[in-house]
Amino acid sequence: MYIVEQLINGLCQGGIYALIAIGFTLVFGITGLVTFCYGEIVMMGAYGSYFVFQWVGLNVPLAMLGAFLFSAFIGFFVYKICYERFLAVPHQISLLCTIGMSTLLTNLAQLVFGLETKSMPMLMAGMNIQIGEIRITYLQILIIGVVVLLCLFLSWFLNKTRIGAALRSVKQDRVATELLGIDSSRVMMIGNCIGSALGGIAGILYCISYMSISPTLGTSVGRIGFSAAVLGGLVNIPWAAAGGVIIGILENLSIIWIPASFRSGIAYVFLIIVLIFLPQGIASRKKRTKL
Amino acid sequence: MKKTKEATLANGQSRTDKIIGFITAHKIWFIILAIAAAILLPVIVTSSYYRAIFIKTLIYALLASSLNAINGYSGQFNIGHAGFYCIGAYTYAIIATRWGVNFFVMLPVAGIAAGLAGYIISLPTLRLKGMYLAMVTMGAGEVIRLIAISWRSVTKGNNGISAIPAPSIFGYKLSSLLNYYYIILVLLIIMLFLTYRVINSRIGRAWMSIREDQNASAFLGVEIKRYKSNNFVYGAFWAGIAGCFAAAFFQYIQPELFNFTRSTEILSMVILGGQGTLVGPLLGAFTVSFLTEVLRFSDQFRLIIYAILIILMMWFRPQGLVGAKHSVLAKRLEIKKHKTPAEKKVTR
Repeated sequence: MYIVEQLINGLCQGGIYALIAIGFTLVFGITGLVTFCYGEIVMMGAYGSYFVFQWVGLNVPLAMLGAFLFSAFIGFFVYKICYERFLAVPHQISLLCTIGMSTLLTNLAQLVFGLETKSMPMLMAGMNIQIGEIRITYLQILIIGVVVLLCLFLSWFLNKTRIGAALRSVKQDRVATELLGIDSSRVMMIGNCIGSALGGIAGILYCISYMSISPTLGTSVGRIGFSAAVLGGLVNIPWAAAGGVIIGILENLSIIWIPASFRSGIAYVFLIIVLIFLPQGIASRKKRTKL
Repeated sequence: MKKTKEATLANGQSRTDKIIGFITAHKIWFIILAIAAAILLPVIVTSSYYRAIFIKTLIYALLASSLNAINGYSGQFNIGHAGFYCIGAYTYAIIATRWGVNFFVMLPVAGIAAGLAGYIISLPTLRLKGMYLAMVTMGAGEVIRLIAISWRSVTKGNNGISAIPAPSIFGYKLSSLLNYYYIILVLLIIMLFLTYRVINSRIGRAWMSIREDQNASAFLGVEIKRYKSNNFVYGAFWAGIAGCFAAAFFQYIQPELFNFTRSTEILSMVILGGQGTLVGPLLGAFTVSFLTEVLRFSDQFRLIIYAILIILMMWFRPQGLVGAKHSVLAKRLEIKKHKTPAEKKVTR
């Protein structure tokens, strides 16, 4: 039963990772530039919600809105500084720029929000469902529910709305999109903001489930998001989400067999294995380019 | 897209280029002058505080140069360099504290240990480029640090290893700051000389051809895998030596010394100075160390300023302070300077 419980924990955590991976994939798919400061955007979103909790009280929807807006704002800021100028030059330049940005955001957060790890409010403490010997907390249900809802929302947004269609077309061919009279720069900015905002929501879920928040969580979260996104070749959203869930489950199951301090190495091991056997990700091997 | 004057160096020489041209024309004199200044520096400055800073600067210069051998010359993108530094430091610390092996014997051993790690890491990364390679090296660096934290019986975990013996030769202990200074200076000069020889040899030309165009160099018969791999080993080897020296100098090491921030610091030195030049990383290391001292009052402002410097550098001079005009980064900026992304795609 312990294994099943760990599996459920892993699923819950994997959902959060999946959200991060989806956001990462969205940003990469649209701008074509890999970002190194995505984890920091996630962290900033989490801080946005932290301050909503501080000022407004325990209002989860409002906190999520706070995280959404704040990380979208940071995403906009990052787009202006790290991407917009570098769309046509070697990718290395914008990559280095995002590395600088990630250091900048982490240290700004340390300066503004304080070095110490702060505690997040505990939501729905002690409330859980008991099925046989397995216990599922309401918090886990909330997290998985939010993740699923957001995925559905994103799928609707990308496939049914006008701007979603514009996003997909920019992803496929920027020039053709511009020829059709769509302002590709604006569309990219919007896509980047939405990708960042998803990360912000993932940030609040992550911090609620750990009940703590610190300015340095960005690095670990960002590399998990990247490792998960690699499974989809950095372009395929469903496989990126699957990668997130797999990493979440592996991390939680690994505690049974190896020391807990190695847990944060799991994402790297996953990344290296994926890169050895499926260097292009699962998706592109089948030549699927659907966003 | 808006372009500033700095970024486009195509027409006419800018002032920096003229200065660089003058220095390259009188290269040998500048080198002699620099070495003489480096030898005389600790004799003039007697404060032990500043001497310690000089030594740290030289360690960083060695690390930045070794990273530059990887990033600058073969175009691979390593951002986990602190991992190799960590291996070198721990190799010396563990063996010297347990069995008291001499520092000078351990120097090559630590280098080889780090080089071996570099070889192992290079195996899965040979096919990778850019971001993927960057993430794998970052991951490798973190995994090395995690091992240092978790393998308590050998590395003493987070407590770190203390009382690491100082270097000694024929029973004479070289533990004064002056001794350390000259040891690291000699190591740095050897490293730079060897790197200079290597990059002007067949191997170095192979590395640079891989950097410029991997497919074309493979077509011309360069064994991509072999050269990429030995490039990684070369860079890692010198990082290991830097680590060995650092362990002997600090006499205390712990895993936190080798975290990702350290890697970022080394990387920012290389970028600031200019990738793919021998002088660049040195200049970067000196600049960053100087800034560190000026900004000592606040540790956090320091990293913020590094970060802003990196971003500004990418905006205005992506090839670095002394980066040559023929650098890959600068060249592509020039070619595409008047083109919007759309035009670029059409012409391609």
